[in-house]
Amino acid sequence: MITCTALRWGAPGQPLTPAVDFTLEKGSLTGVIGPNGCGKSSLLKVITGLQKPLAGKVSVDVPRRGGLAFLPQQQYLDRQFPISLQELVAAGLWGTRLTSPQRNERLHAALQDWCLSGLEQRPLIALSGGQLQRALLARMSLTDSPVLLLDEPHAALDEEGQALCWKHIHAWHEEGRTLMVVCHDLASVRHHTPDVLHIKSTGCALGPSKELIRPQPQLQVA
Amino acid sequence: MHVAAHLWMPFVDFVFMRRALIGGLVLACSTAPLGVFLILRRMSLIGDAVAHGILPGAALGFWFAGLSLPALTLGGLGAGLGMAGLSAWITRRTGLREDASLAAIYPISLAAGVLILGIAGKRLDLLHLLFGSALAVDETTLTGMLWVTGFSLIAMALIYKPLLLDTLDPLFLQTVSRLGPLAHGLFLTLVVLNLVIGFQAIGALMVVGLMMLPAIASRFWSRRLPVLIAVSAVLGCLSVWLGLLLSFYYSLPSGPAIVLVAGGGYLLSVIFGPVHGLLRRPPLLSSQ
Repeated sequence: MITCTALRWGAPGQPLTPAVDFTLEKGSLTGVIGPNGCGKSSLLKVITGLQKPLAGKVSVDVPRRGGLAFLPQQQYLDRQFPISLQELVAAGLWGTRLTSPQRNERLHAALQDWCLSGLEQRPLIALSGGQLQRALLARMSLTDSPVLLLDEPHAALDEEGQALCWKHIHAWHEEGRTLMVVCHDLASVRHHTPDVLHIKSTGCALGPSKELIRPQPQLQVA
Repeated sequence: MHVAAHLWMPFVDFVFMRRALIGGLVLACSTAPLGVFLILRRMSLIGDAVAHGILPGAALGFWFAGLSLPALTLGGLGAGLGMAGLSAWITRRTGLREDASLAAIYPISLAAGVLILGIAGKRLDLLHLLFGSALAVDETTLTGMLWVTGFSLIAMALIYKPLLLDTLDPLFLQTVSRLGPLAHGLFLTLVVLNLVIGFQAIGALMVVGLMMLPAIASRFWSRRLPVLIAVSAVLGCLSVWLGLLLSFYYSLPSGPAIVLVAGGGYLLSVIFGPVHGLLRRPPLLSSQ
């Protein structure tokens, strides 16, 4: 369960919204929508604890370590960094207590799940944006975190990749994990996530996505 | 045979050459991973800032205790850590760009060091502090270097994984572990420690060259982190060995000789290195 009480966030002195309260139930799947700059990414960082709220409180009832997994937007990653795709994905096993064969098995299953087989030894610089995004998603899938926060997971993915990503999001949801997914494609959000959190400069609205989002004129459901 | 003998005879015949060689080799091995990580963390300049920062501390140590290893080391360590810490603190608190904050530290440190040496009466040669003399490595300094190297290598092995993740993807590491700041702090301490112990042997400014040049050169030889560190250590060791030989046969100052050999290795890597070296065709054109 994620509870935000009288929460304000943003740059110091420039809160993005008035104080907001909302509660996301355990095991819920919530799409996060709103215009550019409304504070979607910052909200995820505040919930993860990577950014301090300006006021109010966030409580997430998960273990302190490894309880939250966060998929940030990828542009901050140093593509020149001298490691291979497999090493990047394997970092998702940090802190899990597995034997070496078990680790290998899970790693290869994740690579296969995300259609990354054959790219294991590629250095980061030789990956396309979509391949790197799938690698980051594969790394996230290796963590056992009960709460997953995804910031534009579909960015840079092709149609097939987007479908794959939604498929995994539903699988995680069915496992009983709590998910927040930032996404700009309203039709997909309406179709895929039961709930939606709409962030506006005047406050936040949380509700069923079928009610909060009107059917989109050009239906492009991934 | 005759020529080959020249490559090791000085080290067999003279104790001071042997000590300089051993000291230089262990220093090259322990600075290799530090240099590589400094570059990956985009902190290449911090070595320079710390090396300059060491000066006023060492000068103060000299002023109060004379030419004693513990005093120079303690002074250098305190001032080096202080300067690195001050620069990092200013960056974090004010948002001043990291490179600008480091660039502000150099002149302050250098001027303070020169001033203190001036007040102390010029009994300690500034050139000695800046450029050192590998041929004056005594038993105590060598023991110190061996300890620092052993400690550095073990510590780096222990923090390798968190440091790697903290460098590549600090946000991810923060969500799975709290080791990030600890690894970063220990890493910076090791950098200062190596620079301080190295400045006694080859001088404050030259030891930065031994730390950074092989590390930067290694980038032209591989895309894999462990290989980068190994290449950097090998290049560093070669530079120490060849540099000492040059300094022996042509009566050159040893610190600059070592660093210039490392510089030669860097230029050769830029030209011939298989990873984006000048003589390689750009991979984007050749692969598609």
